[in-house]
Amino acid sequence: MKELVFAGFGGQGVLTAGLIISQIALYKGYNATWMPAYGAAMRGGTANCTVKYGEGMIYNPGQQEPDLLLAMNTPSLKKFAEIVKPGGTILVNADMVEASELSIREDVNIVPVHCNILADKANNPKGANIVMIGAISKLMGDFDHETGVAGMNDMFRKKGKNKFEAQNAAAFEAGYYAV
Amino acid sequence: MGDMTKGNIAIAEAAVRAGVEVFAGYPITPSTEVMEYLSTRMDDVGRTFIQAESELAAINMIMGVSACGRRALTVSSGPGISLKQEGISYMNQWEFPAVILNVVRWGNGLGSLHGSQTDYLRETRGGGNGDYRNIVLCPSTIQESVDLMYQAFDLAEEYRNIVVVMTDSGIGQMMEPCEMPEFKEIKKCDWGLDGTYKKKRGDFLDRNIIQESNDYVAKLQKMRENEQRWEEIETKDAEYVFVAFGTCGRVMSGLVQELRKKGEKIGLIRPITAWPFPEKAFTQLKKENKNIKGFITVETNGEGQMVEDVAIYAKKCGFGNLPIYCLPYVCGVPKDKQIMNDFNEIKLGNKKEVF
Amino acid sequence: MATERKIPDLFNYAMFCGGCGHGVLVRLICECLEELGQQKNTIAAIGVGCSCHLKSAINCDLVQSPHGRAAAVATGIRRAEPDKFVFTYQGDGDAYNIGLSETLNAAYRNENLCIFVVNNSNFGMTGGQMSWTTMPGQKTATSPRGRDTSKTGEPIKIPEMIAYSFKPAYVARGAVITPAEINKLKGYIKNAMEAQLNHEGFSMVEIMSTCPTNWGMNPMIAEKHMIEEVIPYYALGELKKRGE
Repeated sequence: MKELVFAGFGGQGVLTAGLIISQIALYKGYNATWMPAYGAAMRGGTANCTVKYGEGMIYNPGQQEPDLLLAMNTPSLKKFAEIVKPGGTILVNADMVEASELSIREDVNIVPVHCNILADKANNPKGANIVMIGAISKLMGDFDHETGVAGMNDMFRKKGKNKFEAQNAAAFEAGYYAV
Repeated sequence: MGDMTKGNIAIAEAAVRAGVEVFAGYPITPSTEVMEYLSTRMDDVGRTFIQAESELAAINMIMGVSACGRRALTVSSGPGISLKQEGISYMNQWEFPAVILNVVRWGNGLGSLHGSQTDYLRETRGGGNGDYRNIVLCPSTIQESVDLMYQAFDLAEEYRNIVVVMTDSGIGQMMEPCEMPEFKEIKKCDWGLDGTYKKKRGDFLDRNIIQESNDYVAKLQKMRENEQRWEEIETKDAEYVFVAFGTCGRVMSGLVQELRKKGEKIGLIRPITAWPFPEKAFTQLKKENKNIKGFITVETNGEGQMVEDVAIYAKKCGFGNLPIYCLPYVCGVPKDKQIMNDFNEIKLGNKKEVF
Repeated sequence: MATERKIPDLFNYAMFCGGCGHGVLVRLICECLEELGQQKNTIAAIGVGCSCHLKSAINCDLVQSPHGRAAAVATGIRRAEPDKFVFTYQGDGDAYNIGLSETLNAAYRNENLCIFVVNNSNFGMTGGQMSWTTMPGQKTATSPRGRDTSKTGEPIKIPEMIAYSFKPAYVARGAVITPAEINKLKGYIKNAMEAQLNHEGFSMVEIMSTCPTNWGMNPMIAEKHMIEEVIPYYALGELKKRGE
């Protein structure tokens, strides 16, 4: 069972990113849970959610010790870096976090990705979070490129939002091959 | 396996499929998505959605619907459920069934939006004036939320009593896959008012209160006998039996199995009905298990609420002075590591029993 | 030549105090329901107070609401049973004190139901305490020195508020006093009922009644008092006519 924490400013699409990963996991036949942070943090400031996926029932859906943290901004990195499992991964939005911040922990793999720039290049300027989904799919090693894109498209199709499929696939691909 | 579905949305759709005809409610976090969803969904399936001016009005609207023998639902959290208590008491008096969903949030008064189990005692003891109890269903997953909501209206009508479905912010806000049941056929209960005055009232002042009370108590006993629900894991030879419901029940279901693999002789009773409390689980355990050293409740409130029921029923079922411990975690989803550490403290004798 | 009016089948018996207006009002409601063919098609929500006695007074389906909540309960009945005739029967304490919110909000939504409020300017059932309709200077169990409006507010006029602030179908105020006024009152009640049957929306009739028991007056003096002291403040008539 894998645990991932997605954190960033409201509007950066971290809750959606978490949902897409969980939906990709279901598409592959895993079970999944998605849990948003709830409380005073709901309005303004940072947003975050915890996703777990794996075989069988997921009993504890809460935030415990993530295998991967997606930090879309500096406050998120500072807040959640300490809970990442030793040997785990922190995926950082290099367009919003200074390089000097990347030494926050020695015992985890810190991966900076210029997701905003890559999203722009992929002609999907709002797709920075989807770039990161591509990166996460690769880093976790559980979803190949095709499965990831198919699972993501399947989710948007069911919501009737499939007109951005090509741009989303391009953003995913940019992230997938950036790490 | 279905798609990722939010707990509040899944349980709302389950109510629609169970045949709810009228919803009345008032917005309050973390239950509001239920009413937002129903605001269009009820209309789409030809049912009625009312945004009431207050929780008080909402429960009384539900009362009017139920009086006509129609399926009615209201939903709230925290102080909103407090406001509904007057109506709940009246509805149990008049035997008007309905389902009330409490997406529990932490705290007294305004409290906070965090998921919690601070309403256990209020829900299981009635909550308003009088002698009544509500059937209280406590799902621990989104699928179980759907399944219990789907049955809740049948239960309410069978006993003509209020049924409370008690989730929390966690179960309401989280997502996981779930399957939806088929639509039930809508029927008006034959006792429902229809304007023809088919059931004559007795004289206003001519009430036999002793008889009324005896009749209600007989109904309570029937509910106690027939409606206890729980799930049990590895209790037969357990030295410590955990008791946990809802979010905590879910967490403990996993943790007990994991710790068993590491050789810990532990088990779990997960109440699905908080009322009637699953006394039968304790009766059976007393017959089967001679190793037991204590019961431990895991709850998300300040100092434990269900622990009182565990103490009461442990005594009633012959466990004598067996220690009853409580691990209260205030709010949220308790962390496995924290629970394991606290369990060790119990075994080492550093954490004392509550009863 | 005067003929005796038939007692409606809906009318059971009146267990109100001598001189109280409730009994006459219930009979008028029963007559109107029968004249409109609603005797087997009516569900009421009743308030707490002397209005509770409607349970014995009328042979129709009804729900005993919690104190003040009749308009909300009636809303539920209305939405559950769109084809039934639905009314509330409440006192001023029930509808205007504790139930002010439910009453106004039902009117605000223009809920298609009738609200009948008996205004006897005090809480009758509990022994004559001050209500929001108590007259200035009036002595009650909780204003034994006379109502001091500088501390308790002026007597409340909810029908005016609803008629002039919202968009109801029909609002009127009648009184159980002289035969002429009682006949007018019946007209108001019937208009309110017809408004609902025509799906025109919310209708309300406030019914001024004496409360000889709690006013400490005999019925004749109580009626005289009402005509001379109370009615001048609570003007009778139609405040919002149908189709206006």
